[in-house]
Amino acid sequence: MLGAIVAKEFTEYRRDGLVLAILGLIGALILVGLLSAWATHVEQEQQVLRSQAHDQETFLRQGNKPSHSAAHFGRMAYKPPAALAVFDAGASPYLGQVIWLEAHRQDPAMFRPAEDAPELSRLADLSVAGVLTSLLPLLIFVIGAGAFAAERERGTIRQLMLAGAGIGAVFRGKLIALASVAVLVSTLVIAASTAVAIASSETTSTSDTLARGAGLCVGFAAYAFACAGIALFVSARALTRTAALLTLLTIWGVSTLALPRIAASVGELMYPTPDGPAFWAQVAEATRAARPKRGSAELRGIERLVVSRAIGREISGQEVASLQLNRVALGQEISEVLGANAHAAVYAELYAIYDRQRRVRRAASILSPTIALMHWSSGIAGTDLWAHGHFALEAERQRQLIIRTLNEDMMLNGAHQGYEYLASADFWRTVPDFEYGPPPSIRFSMRSALPDLLLLLAWIVLAIPVAWLGARRQRAA
Amino acid sequence: MLKAENLSRRFGERWALRDLNLEIAAGEIQCLLGANGAGKTTTINLFLGFLEPTAGAAWVNGRQVARDLNAARAHLAYVPEQVSLYPTLSGLENLVYFTRLAGKAAHDRARLQEFLERVGLAREAADVRVEHYSKGMRQKVGLAIALAKDARALLLDEPLSGLDPKAANEFCALLMKLAEADIAILMATHDLFRAREVASRIGIMKSGRLLENIAARDLSHSQLERIYLDHMNCPDAAC
Repeated sequence: MLGAIVAKEFTEYRRDGLVLAILGLIGALILVGLLSAWATHVEQEQQVLRSQAHDQETFLRQGNKPSHSAAHFGRMAYKPPAALAVFDAGASPYLGQVIWLEAHRQDPAMFRPAEDAPELSRLADLSVAGVLTSLLPLLIFVIGAGAFAAERERGTIRQLMLAGAGIGAVFRGKLIALASVAVLVSTLVIAASTAVAIASSETTSTSDTLARGAGLCVGFAAYAFACAGIALFVSARALTRTAALLTLLTIWGVSTLALPRIAASVGELMYPTPDGPAFWAQVAEATRAARPKRGSAELRGIERLVVSRAIGREISGQEVASLQLNRVALGQEISEVLGANAHAAVYAELYAIYDRQRRVRRAASILSPTIALMHWSSGIAGTDLWAHGHFALEAERQRQLIIRTLNEDMMLNGAHQGYEYLASADFWRTVPDFEYGPPPSIRFSMRSALPDLLLLLAWIVLAIPVAWLGARRQRAA
Repeated sequence: MLKAENLSRRFGERWALRDLNLEIAAGEIQCLLGANGAGKTTTINLFLGFLEPTAGAAWVNGRQVARDLNAARAHLAYVPEQVSLYPTLSGLENLVYFTRLAGKAAHDRARLQEFLERVGLAREAADVRVEHYSKGMRQKVGLAIALAKDARALLLDEPLSGLDPKAANEFCALLMKLAEADIAILMATHDLFRAREVASRIGIMKSGRLLENIAARDLSHSQLERIYLDHMNCPDAAC
């Protein structure tokens, strides 16, 4: 019986011009989104590879040069685009792509793709995930509005009951059929995006991309079932199909268009992100506060740590004083250690603010499953703020490694030369290159986005039983 | 096959049906005549289980509808004034769907096509979407559903309303064929002429009460019309 109900529903969908029109619209927008994302992805990845090679060449050709000048000259860390950015660009267009690794300072990433985007492209989010997130519920709501309301209007609900179909079977059949359309569409689109990501990316692992594709399918399937539950509930309770459709269109507008933006604004209002001058003032204050007094035990401890690392063994405080070292370089390295700790504390506070903002948005997911899906989708695609944070942290490790290598070379080989010490032309080859690989794995993304999947599942647990209660009260008479 | 025992239904303070006693055997056609609001549709809804009786009981093939709804419905088919079908499916597809729901999955398409032909729906029309059907064609699909379901009782609510004379004639002929196949038929109608043509018994209802239930063969058209109008013109609800 269930099979007959599902098959009949599919036949009706196939013959409904409006359903076909929305499917056509989704298909066309996704094709445009996927092609443009693919072109952007390939271009970005090539740019990263070219720029990295150029940066390496420039660094290696410095010749004989003062180490500290080289530390200020620095290097660049280029963020490779996540493979599934072709599906969901997430926050990446609004986050920088390159971090300058220079002495004394942990810079934020610069060069945001959104800054270079053509003005018109800012008017609409044509990412594949954006199209699916906003239009899948529309498809489900347009189809689902008549699920029960039209049966009542036509009188076919009576024929169903008389034919012996229990309301339970009818509900299950309609739920499966309705959600299946959206699951089918999203799975096809995600499979195509994953295939494009694998084919076009030279830097990411195929198995990781496949796992991410599967994770996206799970999230969108949960979203489809939650939306189907909402549609069936409204259709069961509305007086007419038109009333059901109007109610569902209102829910669609509020939950997919308005609430995500409102939730983001409320998060920002409750936990404001500091602007640039305020952030750097915090860094300066933290650096000043972290500086131990001259001659203090704390400073001596850091000094011992820095020298021990440089010579590769534990040494005592007396030995530090007796070693032949470039004291300028020692001071610079101590300053680096202290500065890095201060930067880390202020950046940690910044990410704590982002996390609080995310919690506010997650709380708003109780009103809209779209918010939970957006978090899950960008998280699993590896394009959210937390994936960027992973890159920034790795870049900072690399910065510290470069500066330490330069300082230690100057410290050990330039005793009594102060700033006059010149690193040899061959020295630059001993500084390791930045290889951001592998980027954060699916496990990292899952850990960060798991609450969002749980929220989507909670929506299913809530929406489907409530829809069933609504459907059970159908009156055929 | 169909039996009503003191069957009554009240909506608020108003009795829509009061103390109906009626028995329709297999092969009989019982027509119910009466003005709008006389209780004809309420009677049908009580047999179908879409309404619960305030008092009394409706029985279908020995099953009390209010107590054993699914078993009672298994023997019932229903043709309303506007037969409810899925407009984007063809007549045959509607038939396939409803018969599968009724657990008659064994009927293959050829067999179902036969049912449609038996009720007079042309083979080429069976594959046309129902949204393009006339009312008469929809009624035929409704009857085909009853045949395919192997229903033992058929309830019809104003099925002749809006049909042209030829279609109404064909429809009545079909009903008589179904009765010959031992199906019990209960039909609510305003059409005295057709009721007299097809019915075994004709009940006249007024204000929720069955005032008379007459054997149709004992009546001429003019006698039936006179009895009916006498009841309708009588100012007292009980006459």
